[in-house]
Order: sequence, then C-alpha cells, then structure tokens
Amino acid sequence: TYLNDFWEKGRSDGEEQSGEQQQQQQQRASPARPSFGKKQLPSIPKNAVPVTKPASPAATAQLANGTHASYGPFYLEYSLLAEFTLVIKQKLPGIYVQPSYKSALMWFGVIFIRHGLYQDGVFKFTVYIPDNYPDGECPRVVFDIPVFHPLVDPVSGELDVRRAFTKWRRNHNHIWQVLMYARTVFYKINTMEPLNPEAAVLYDKDVQLFKSKVVDSVKLCNSHLFDQPKMDDPYAISFSSWNPAIHDEAKERMFTHKRRPEDHQKGLQVSGLSWVKPGSTQPFSKDDNPPQS
Amino acid sequence: MMMASMVANGNRDGRPGEALVLKGLDPETCMIVFKNHWAQVVKILEKHDPLRSNTSSNMAALGVIGLSSGGPMRFGGPIPGDEASAVQNYVEHILFLLMEEDAGQAGAMGPILEFVVMENVMERLFLWSLRRQFTDDMKLEQLKMYEMIVGQARQPLLHHKPVLRPLMMLLSSCSGTAGPEVEAELVSLLNQLCCVLAKDQSVLELFFHTSEDQGAANFLIFSLLIPFIHREGLVGQQARDALLLIMSLSAENQRVAQHIAENTYFCPVLATGLSGLYSSLPTKLEVPGEEWHCLHREDWLQMPTLVQFLNSLEFCNAVIQVAHPNIRDQLVSYIYNGFLVPVLAPALHKLTLEEVMTTTAYLDLFVRSVSEPVLLQTFLSFILLHRHENVHILDTLVSRINTPFQLGTVSLALFQTLIGLYCEDVMLQLILRYLIPCNHMMLSQRRVVKERDFYSVSAAKILALTPSCCSPEHSPPPLRQLDSILWSKGTDNSANTGTMETEETFLEEDGSGYSCVIGSEIYLDVNYLHYLYNARLGISSCTRACQVWSAPYDGEDPPPEEYQPSALEEAGARGRQAQTVNPKRSHPHPRPRPPCPPQTTDPAPTNQLELEWDDSYDAGPVVSPEAAAAESSRPPQLPAAEPPKHIQEMRRTAIMLVKGSYIEESDFQDDVMVYDLVAKKDARDTVDCRRPSRETLPESEESEIDSNLNLEEDHFKESSLQEKDEVPLSNGLSLPLHPTNMEVTKGSKEVKAHVADHNSNLQSPSAEVGDDLMGQYEELIRTLGSDETGTGGSSHVKTVDKEFRNPVVTPMEEDEVDFSSFSVDTPELEKPHSSLFGTKLRSGSTRSHSVPFTGPFVSVLLSRLENMLDNSLHVNLLLTGILAQLAAYPQPLLQSFLLNTNMVFQPSVRSLYQVLASLKNQIEQQASTKKDFPELITSAQHCLLARESSLKGQDTNSGDSRECSPPEAGRMMKSSPPPQPKTISLARTEVFATVLFTEFLKELAAIAQEHSILSHVPMEE
Repeated sequence: TYLNDFWEKGRSDGEEQSGEQQQQQQQRASPARPSFGKKQLPSIPKNAVPVTKPASPAATAQLANGTHASYGPFYLEYSLLAEFTLVIKQKLPGIYVQPSYKSALMWFGVIFIRHGLYQDGVFKFTVYIPDNYPDGECPRVVFDIPVFHPLVDPVSGELDVRRAFTKWRRNHNHIWQVLMYARTVFYKINTMEPLNPEAAVLYDKDVQLFKSKVVDSVKLCNSHLFDQPKMDDPYAISFSSWNPAIHDEAKERMFTHKRRPEDHQKGLQVSGLSWVKPGSTQPFSKDDNPPQS
Repeated sequence: MMMASMVANGNRDGRPGEALVLKGLDPETCMIVFKNHWAQVVKILEKHDPLRSNTSSNMAALGVIGLSSGGPMRFGGPIPGDEASAVQNYVEHILFLLMEEDAGQAGAMGPILEFVVMENVMERLFLWSLRRQFTDDMKLEQLKMYEMIVGQARQPLLHHKPVLRPLMMLLSSCSGTAGPEVEAELVSLLNQLCCVLAKDQSVLELFFHTSEDQGAANFLIFSLLIPFIHREGLVGQQARDALLLIMSLSAENQRVAQHIAENTYFCPVLATGLSGLYSSLPTKLEVPGEEWHCLHREDWLQMPTLVQFLNSLEFCNAVIQVAHPNIRDQLVSYIYNGFLVPVLAPALHKLTLEEVMTTTAYLDLFVRSVSEPVLLQTFLSFILLHRHENVHILDTLVSRINTPFQLGTVSLALFQTLIGLYCEDVMLQLILRYLIPCNHMMLSQRRVVKERDFYSVSAAKILALTPSCCSPEHSPPPLRQLDSILWSKGTDNSANTGTMETEETFLEEDGSGYSCVIGSEIYLDVNYLHYLYNARLGISSCTRACQVWSAPYDGEDPPPEEYQPSALEEAGARGRQAQTVNPKRSHPHPRPRPPCPPQTTDPAPTNQLELEWDDSYDAGPVVSPEAAAAESSRPPQLPAAEPPKHIQEMRRTAIMLVKGSYIEESDFQDDVMVYDLVAKKDARDTVDCRRPSRETLPESEESEIDSNLNLEEDHFKESSLQEKDEVPLSNGLSLPLHPTNMEVTKGSKEVKAHVADHNSNLQSPSAEVGDDLMGQYEELIRTLGSDETGTGGSSHVKTVDKEFRNPVVTPMEEDEVDFSSFSVDTPELEKPHSSLFGTKLRSGSTRSHSVPFTGPFVSVLLSRLENMLDNSLHVNLLLTGILAQLAAYPQPLLQSFLLNTNMVFQPSVRSLYQVLASLKNQIEQQASTKKDFPELITSAQHCLLARESSLKGQDTNSGDSRECSPPEAGRMMKSSPPPQPKTISLARTEVFATVLFTEFLKELAAIAQEHSILSHVPMEE
C-alpha cells in the first residue's frame, strides 16, 4: 500500500498542487492541447534528465545503447518504483522510507533503533539517488541531524555508505541493501577509516565515554523529532505528538488492516476462473467436478 | 375496476356496475345473495344434466359419458343462449362475492368459501362449461375466472381441493392444441400460480397431492410450462419467469428438485430446445464488411432467431444460477450432451468457410453471453477437451487462426474472448502447459523466469525496435500535440472505476491538462503515459482475477521436473480420465452418457493409424473408431439408462391424462412424445445389449459391414464432392464432411459412413424448417430416434467409458496428429498458408518429445504476427490486442516468455521479440525502398486518429462496448465501416501495419514496465 499511496499521490495529489500553475502556463501556450495532466510523471529534478533538445532528430533519435531518449525518464521512474516496491517487500525492521513529492530520486526515511548502544534512537534521514541510476554510484544516506557515530560525518550527517558498496552493480545492489546497511551500523560499530574520528577513537579507547556521547546524541535527535521537516516537501516525514482525535482511528485501522483483504475480495467484480486442482496441470481436475461415470 | 372488466372481457353480457354495488354489503347479506344466485345456477345446470338425480357431480362419471371424444359435448340438445348467459351473469356475481370475502376467524374459511367447497361449486361450473361447447372462448372464460379469483381473493383458495381440482382439470385441458389466446391466458395463469407457490410453499404440497388423486403427472403446473420454455414473445417470457420461480423454489425444496430432476423432462427439453433453436439460425451470416469479426449486440438484435436462442440460453443460465444442484448438474450435462457435442461440434466442422465462420461467431457470442460459472465451464470444457473426429475442438479452432479470410479473424475474436475470461484452464491448455516444463529456455535460464526487470531493460529493447521512420521525433508537430494514436484506452475502462479514472474524466471535462513537466526542450512521448496507465489497469485486474488460480506458474510451481514430456505422458493419462468427467456432476437419474467422446484412439502419425486401429480390434482395450464417431456426432441425447419401470409409469400417467380425463388426444403430445422416445430407446438399448458389439465381431462379418459402409461412403463422397460448396443443410443439423480425406482406413471409412448415414437422416428437418419451433424440435427428436436405430452406436458407450482408463497416447502426440490431420483434411481452407503451416506442423509430428515447443496457439499467433505487413488493419488490431492481453497476465512463465528480452530460449523456439525484430527489419526495408513512406505514415496516423475518435463517439452512444470484448473494446471495430481516409487507402497494409507496429511496441513496453513494479508486490488492495 505504500506503493499505491506513492503512486496515487505522485499522480493525483501532485496534480492538484502543482497542476494549477502549470495549467495556466500551458493554456496560454497552447489552448488546444488535450489533457494529460492526470498521467503526469512526477517532475524530475533539473539534474535528472540527461537529455537535451536534439540538434538534429535523426542523429540523436536513439542513444548509443539503442534506446529512445524520449523514454529515458520513464525507465528511470520505473527503476526507482521497482526499487521502492522491493523495499516494501523486504519489510526492514524499524525502517520507513517515502519518496519525496518533488523527485523520485530523493527518499525520506526514518530509522528506529530498538536495542544496543543507540537504543531508542529515532533518526531521520534522506536518501539521494544519482540521476544516472542504476549506472552511477551508490545512493547517499544523510541524517537530518549528524548522529554521533564513527561512520557519520559530524558536519554533513552523511553516512559512509560507499565502503559497503564500493562499486554499485545493477541487478546485484538494491536500495533496500543501503537501508539495511544504515540500520546495521547502529548495532555493529565499525571504527575503520571513520568519518567521525572522535567517535571512532572514543569507541576504541573509552567505550563509557562513547556510550554517554551516544546517549546525548540520541537525546538530541529525539528532542528535534517534532521539528518541521528539513525539506519543504509534502511527502517529507514529520512527527507530531499523539493526538487521539487523529491517531486513534489510524491506529485502529492499522490493526484491523489484515482482515480487510478477504472482505474486499468477496465484493470483487473481476474474478478469474479456475477448475484446476492444485498440484495438477489438467483442466477441470478439481474435486468438485467428480467423474461422471 | 380491473377484475370486473376482466370478467367482462370473457363475458360480453357482464354488468360490472352491478358487481360494484355488492361491495359494501355485510357478510350475511352477501351469503344470502350468493345462495340465491347459486340456486338459480343450479336450476339451469340440473335442467341440462343428463344424470339429473345427482346433486353433486361425480368426476368419474364424466369419463363414462365419453367427454374425451373430442367433439362437442352436449346432452339433451343444445343449451339455449339465454340460459348460458344467465348462468354467466350469476357466476360473475358469485365469484365476485367469493373474492371479496374475508377469511374467517383464525384463518377459517369464510362462509361463502365454505359453501363453495361443500357444494363443489367450482367443479360444477367447470363441468357446465364442458357440457356446452368447450371452445377456446369457453376455456378463455374459465382461465380468466381462475386468474381473477386466484389473484384477487382475500383468503387462500387453492388449499381447498374442490377449488384446486377443477383448476387442475382446466389447466390440463387447455394445454396442447389450444389457440394462441388460450395459451397466453394459460401461461399467464400458470405464472400467477407460481407466484402464489413462491410466496406460500404450503400450497406446493397440495399441488402434488391433487395430482396424485388425479393419477396424472405430478406437479402439473410445472409440466404444463415446459412446452413454452422456448417460445418467443411475452408468452415465452412469462413461462420462463414462472419456471424460474419454481427453480428457485427447488433450491430450498428437495422434493421439488427431485421431482423435476427425476420425473420431468425439464432439463432435456431445455437442452434439446437449444439444439432446435440453433438449427433455425442462419447457417451463413450476412457479414457487413471485411473487418467484421464478431456478433455485436446491434448485429444480433437484427436476427430474431438469434435473439430467441440467446433468450433460451440466458434462461438456462438463470436456471443454473438459482436451481437446486441436482437440476443444475443435470441441465449442464444435457446441454453438453444434447447441444454442444451433437450440434455445435458438427456445426464447427461444416464444409464451407462461411458456415464454419458463422458457427465460430455464434460460439464466441454464446461464451460471451453466459455468465454462470458452471455453464461457462460446460462451454469451456467442450472447447478445451471435446474431440470431434479425434481432433480437439480447441486445436481445430487454433489452427483456423491461420486461415486467411474472415474465418481467421473470427477465430481470433473468439480467442480474445476466451483469454479475457482469466480462466486458468483455458490458459493452461492454450499456452501454459507448453511452458511448464521450461524446455523452451536454456537450462540456465530457469532462475531468470522469476526475476524482475528492475531497470526496464526489456521495455527499452522493445521500444528500440521502433522503426526510424516512426520515431517520436519524426512525428509531425500536429501529431505531437494531439492525443496521438492510441488503441486501447478510454472505452475499456468503464468497469474499473478507480479514483484515478474519476479524476481523469474530471480533468478531461475540465480541459485543463498539461503535458510535459520536462518542458519543451525534449519531446516526451505523451501517449506512452496512456499505455502505462492502461497497462496498469490491465495487469491489476488480471492479477486480481488470477488469485483464484491453483498455481503461480513461476517456473517452480508447478515444478518443471514433474512435467517433463516423459512424466507428462502419465499425467496426461491421468488427466484424460479426468477429462471424461465433464461437464461435472452428473445426476444419477436419469443418467447422462459420459460427455466426452473417446479420447483413446491413438493419434500417432497418420501412416501408423491403420496399424494402430487394427491392433485395437485384437487387443480390445482401445475404442473402436465407429464408436468414437457415434459418440461425437450423435444428436441430442436422452437419458440412456432410464429405468423402464419409471418410464412406463410416466407413460401410463401421461396416457391416463390424455385418455382418462377431459383433455383431447393431442394434449401433452410433447411430453408423450418424449416418453415414447425414451421408451423406444430403452427397448433398443436392451436389444443392443444382446447384439454383439463391434469389437467382438468375427473378422469376416466385420469386413462385410465395412464393404457396405464403403458403398455408402463412396456414394456420399461423390455427391459431396459435387456440391461441396452448397451443402443444403440447416444449421446444426448438417454434418462435418471431409470428402478429401485420404486416410483410407477401416476406421475412417466407418466414420464417414456413419456421417453420411447420419446426414441423410438429418436432411429432412432442414427441408421443413418452418417458423414453428415445436415442429423443428419434434423433428429433431424424431431424427434422434431413427438415427440411433441406424447406428446402434449407443452400445459402445459403456465400453468406451471403461477404456478411458488405459489410454495409449501421450499428450504430445495428440497435438501433432491433430494438426497434421487438420491440414490433410481441409486443404481447401488452408491453401494459401498450408505449405508453411502444414510443413511446420508435420515436421513437428516427427520431432521427438524433448524438442521444445511453445504450443500451437503461440506458434500460430506469432506466424500471423510475422505477416503483419500483409495483414489487414483489423486483423492486426486483433492480433496485437490478443498478444497484449496475454502479456498482461502476471504468471512469470508467460511474462518471461513474452516480455523478457534477456531470456535465452532454445534455438528452435521463436520468441515474440524475434518476430518483432524481424518486423522492424521488414519495415526498414520498405521505408528505404519507398520514397513516400514518411508521408504515407503521416496520413495513416491521421486516418487512424480520425477513426479512433469516431469509434470513441460510437462507444459513448451505444454503451455496448463492454458486451463485445471485455478488455479491448477500444481496439474493436464496430460493424459500420470507419470513414475512409482521403489520402491513403486501407489497402496499403504495410503502412498501417507500420503505424500499428510502433504503437504495439509502446503497448508492450508499457506492460513490461508495469509488470516490473506490479507483479512483484503482493496484492493488498
């Protein structure tokens, strides 16, 4: 359902919000243009489209690999959607991500650390995916607040992901692995070649002090939990304190969710047909078709 | 007042005003008036009663008097008109009083009703009307009288035998020979009675009991309705409605269900009626144009006979929906054995292209018209499993896709319908079973089956096949701005009302869309978004529908190892037993024959046939071909194993009904005819059993028979060769003829001899095809009788059934022989393509089992696709539509085969991508040799755009798009021809094909892309 939300929003909410301006511009430009607003792709950031207006159509109609430039954005979009569906499928413990409204190349996320040194930490982060995905480098993970951690840059908040994915290999590497890695670093501390040398040294020399710094860092992060999201984006993850009027109902729905699919199925109009007995490949082999002899 | 006027209708002297006056009177006064009137009536009645002394009439006495003679019944001279009309007036008042009377306390009878019961008023009135001339007018009067009191009375009347009994007698006397007015009134009354039954089941008991008293058939009102099942117009509709009420009653009432299933011929009449109606359909359709390919609503509404057939089919559908399982199963079984196998199967194998095409279009329409899964299953198992002359119907239909001419197109449309059902069994037989073993791919590729295409590599490869002359950058500016050419959108979305669509329509109405965010810098193919959207809808609904399937077909389940060709043989053998079961759930009584014709004849390569069949005589366990022929071409079946005692009883009661009560001879003739037939058949079956069966005949005797048959065959061959093209048979009654079949074996001779024999029997009805359905129906049943005496084929049934268990065949072999035999059988249909197609198939028949083969359907589709540049536009629309339909299926086996361009297949396997690539090359070649190609492309695009928008307009007007072809309505062409383009002729198929090819690539790519994100997410919506 994440995907669906994403999809719906990307394709519908998006229209409502940005569509109006667009629409005005477009109508001035070409009033007779038919409406495709509904199926609009989410906008792609400026740096995402490696294609420019062809000087001569014949020469640039096809890229070197034989694919049409016109479809490039579609391929990128679907690659990222595929990655996202894969993340959903993995059901990574304590990790939630949501692609941004403005770009499919930017995902907002949050990690809940449930035990270990960083227990009770709730760290918001952003994933930046290179625009030549999947052929570029590995996606970057940047924490909103630089967590005190050997592998997290104390200034930018960026996690050193590249050490785990020295070379990003299409089909082998997936974004869910990056997310998984982002989680693992909080359970299994690595101090080799740190981005935060202080944290690395403390961990190796004075774990007690390290621990107390971590506790402070966790406290700091959590104290900013309810802040406005860093990014001004409708899909940025924002926290608010418990409001029964809003959250009780949502919680209720989440807990009853599992029962719904069956209920839903009954009312389905589109239903396929099958008289094949499971384990058989013969048509009309089901048991409720007893032989007629 | 309505009822008063109804009485007035029947009685010209009626004075409704006077009746109204009675309304306000108190019960005592009413009673007094009633008794007075009755006394007057009795006076006149007794004056004309030949047995004056009797105060209460005795029904038995009437039989003695000889009322059944059929002539006018008068005693003591004619009854004067004034007396008759006086009685009529009194009766009118009496009935009105009865009707207006309220029930007594605690449901007791009111005093008037009590009097009516005690004095046997109704019975005596009925006798009175018999004593006068019992004309249609008289019947009408009586029927209206009952209709009025049954419908209007304030207390239940039917619970009382003195009311019910004369009603039943009246009903039985009105069936059969009555004129149309009486029939209409009769059915109307029966309908009313059924409504009463549906509301108050306690009456039901009485209907049974009364009948028993009578010694007549139980549940008379039901039996009386049966002859009207297939009637057209209001009468038929009322009868069917009434029967449906009883059917839903049967679902809860075991006794009713049992009675209908065991003691009536409801199911056989219904099913054989379909055959009868089918036989009056046109054998050749007046096709509006070359691009016509299926019967739309507006087409068949013009054909009364087809409307009538569809009404009856719809009725079967409704019965199956509401009736008790016993009735349902019996009906389904009769439809299979009484309509599909004996009528539709031969009709699908007629001689001329037009006839076969027509039958195919009918079949397609029928499948689309049926909604109840059990009935659909019956049709599907017929298509998938039934063998006609040893060839599966399915294989025949598949091979016809490859015929040029309209037959190919109509066959394509049928498959579009079938694929649109999301039926696992269909997809299994058509494609999946060939893919399950995974032999079509390199061994190393098996793990790739389930892999998803993360980066739209396949989509990119498919789109990269876009011919350079059609690349989006080349589109002229006006087309870029327009909605461009889009095939499968808009009209087919009506069923899926998601939020997205609502918004879309809103936006479109609003006219406030915008195209590319990316800006004017590059051209982004806008209509590709539509393809993505439609692909999403298509895959989602398909995925949802396939949730009921038994397996994911992902290369692991079903496990390929278990379904390797060698293993398949056993599986197939097991399966073939299962195949004999359909349609499902026979009712034990009356017991239908096994529905499928024998499937045991070894379909080895042709040159082996003779040997195989000769062996079979010695060995025994293999079924004899003539039995097969008898099976497959037998006309409507009546129950085979009817207990004679039961039949005799049925007959007796029927005869009693005819002879013993007041009805004339011809009443109940339909039922009696059925009874007679069954009885005859019973007798014959006994004879058959005593006669030695063919298998056990000594060789000499056998050859003698053969030579006889040969004579017949030769004669037949001659004549049929002469008039090959004008076989004067009526639909459904003609037979498959393959005069050019050169397989001279004993078996095939006999098959044809049988066919000839059969044919001669069946030609008579065709000559007499009249308006009267009943006549045809009778004829049908009659020919059934004679045919069976001729062939004696029924004795084989049991043997055949037994022998199913030891089939000698493997499924692979079946396919091969099916095709080679087809191409041998029907060269005249195949000629333009037969060399290519036939060779391929024949080479297939010699290949070993392990040679990978993705099945005839895929093979034929791809063959036709490869000829895309020569195909007409509408053929290409259908072809690409079907392939897109297939591509939307979420099963990884299918998906990987059709869409995964990375997959490495066995060298002998042709993939969709290969065909597309070859098409691209053909197009590029054309484009390079023809200077004006780009301009032609542009005009073709404009032409198609215009066509598309005109089709859209039609769709919104007719609102019928759903009915035609579910997922692809937008692609479909309607009967009316599209506006002809001014600049380019549709004959430039290569130009249109090029445009279509480019759009098809987008459609496929969009489907591939949506699969990459949809098929791998568990459905939770």
